[in-house]
Amino acid sequence: MESKARILIIDDDPDIVQSMRVVLESKNYRVENATSGEEGLRMVKAEKPDLVILDVMMETSDKGFDVARKIKWDKDCKDIPILMLTAIKENTGLDFKNEAGDEVWLPVDDYCDKPLDPQVLISKVESLTKSN
Amino acid sequence: MGIAAAREGLLERLYWLIKLRWLAVLGAFCTVLFVNHGLKFKLPIFPLYATIALLFMGNVAFFFRLIRLKNKSALSMNRIANVQIAFDLLVLAVLIHFSGGIENPFIFYFIFHMIIASTLLSRKASFLQATLAAVFFFAMVNLEYLGILPHYCLKGFMIDCQRHNPIYLGGVSFVLVSTLYIAVYFATSIANRLKQREMALNISNEQLREKDNVKSEYVLRVSHDIKEDLAAIQGCLEPVARGITGELNPKQLDLIQRATRRTGSLLFFIKALLEITRMKLSREVKMDYFSFSETLSEAVAQIASKALDKNISLNLYLEPGINRIRGSKEYIQETLVNLLANSVKYTPRNGRIDLKGSDKGNRILIDISDNGIGIPKGELPKIFEEFYRASNAKEVERDGTGLGLSIAKRIVEIHNGKIWVDSQEGKGSVFHIELPK
Repeated sequence: MESKARILIIDDDPDIVQSMRVVLESKNYRVENATSGEEGLRMVKAEKPDLVILDVMMETSDKGFDVARKIKWDKDCKDIPILMLTAIKENTGLDFKNEAGDEVWLPVDDYCDKPLDPQVLISKVESLTKSN
Repeated sequence: MGIAAAREGLLERLYWLIKLRWLAVLGAFCTVLFVNHGLKFKLPIFPLYATIALLFMGNVAFFFRLIRLKNKSALSMNRIANVQIAFDLLVLAVLIHFSGGIENPFIFYFIFHMIIASTLLSRKASFLQATLAAVFFFAMVNLEYLGILPHYCLKGFMIDCQRHNPIYLGGVSFVLVSTLYIAVYFATSIANRLKQREMALNISNEQLREKDNVKSEYVLRVSHDIKEDLAAIQGCLEPVARGITGELNPKQLDLIQRATRRTGSLLFFIKALLEITRMKLSREVKMDYFSFSETLSEAVAQIASKALDKNISLNLYLEPGINRIRGSKEYIQETLVNLLANSVKYTPRNGRIDLKGSDKGNRILIDISDNGIGIPKGELPKIFEEFYRASNAKEVERDGTGLGLSIAKRIVEIHNGKIWVDSQEGKGSVFHIELPK
């Protein structure tokens, strides 16, 4: 197996983080965790992970979107793919119109509702890290 | 809200007034025909028919004015009502003039206009309309009396021509005019009380809606928190159940799988509850034009493998001509998938499900029929209620939220559509959805 990508999970729920960590590490990904938006941004800039898994409902409801925008608007980080954890229509009330990839609204590469099925998580992570 | 409802009511009554006027045109025409040919009164027939034709054309104009009305403010609709009633009074005065004037008992038809005015207008405006009716009436009587206008006697109905009988003229005029004012007084009193009651009902409805919203917010918050915890539990169970954390012995695996399944069904339920609560709170969804045929095929594709598992034939019939419709594609697709999934769930192996889309002009009709277990007759009215599950459905499938159909109903209603069901227990069900294009 080739050396696997580094993944940063930005989520303040330690149980969710731990369950994803177990799944991802079983596939030899290297997993790091940040528990706040600020810490996450700092780590993204400093460590340039290969993928960011970002929870939408951190602290305030739009914190996740805010972090996503800041990553995508930073010229050094804009190519780092983001997988956002959200039931998009549920948390934002935005309905489906704003799909992943909408630069203005939801500048993320993919999104997924919690809980993530391990297989879905792995396949999404594989395709996002490969395309990069 | 109360004001908007009152305005809707006024618009509705304006359409009602136009309908009444068609009846008046027909009634006046038949009466003239009968009086002229049946009773052989010598009346100036041409002016009478011409006036009826004027009433007809006036009504056509009023109708088009109303359907093209952009500014639907209470003020502009009041003006329209005033103009229409004044026009009606004038037409009635002219008709009466050409058919015997004060001798014609139809003069009491002015009272109808007063009642109509009272239901449409304010009390002040209604009294003004009564005054206008009195003015038209006095003008007709006096101009005929003075010989400025001809008087057409109803010989055969009245013994003598009453044109120069001041006692008759004064008496009838007094009774008629006082009747008009008294009619307005009574009718506006009743109408005002009804309007007040309607307003009070609207207000209490609004309050109930607000309370319901508070309850929904609460449900939303609670179910959201439950969902967060459940998601974490499920997230922790899944890797263990899938053996990612290492091999389990059969007993461990069995128990973990049971726990995962139960968490899964609770999550499914909570998500459905979240969805219906969210929908209750948002009064509208974003709508766009989308390809209906594509949505239908996608819904069928989503359910195809489930149908195949039970060897159920899934047939799609789509009338040409249905292409683009306006709505929320995702919600409509979700509704179709929901209904199809229900059909698959409650149809035995080797059954058949038909999905039909028909073009009904400015609406489309979707029929989803199956030859499944059907719904007991007594339970039909309840199946769109939240949490309700038909008794025979529970026997077939223990798990179920009882929310699928109420979500479907909500989605269809948000689209200003209709959903209903025909079913026979043991034979199958047909769900119908009608949506505007």
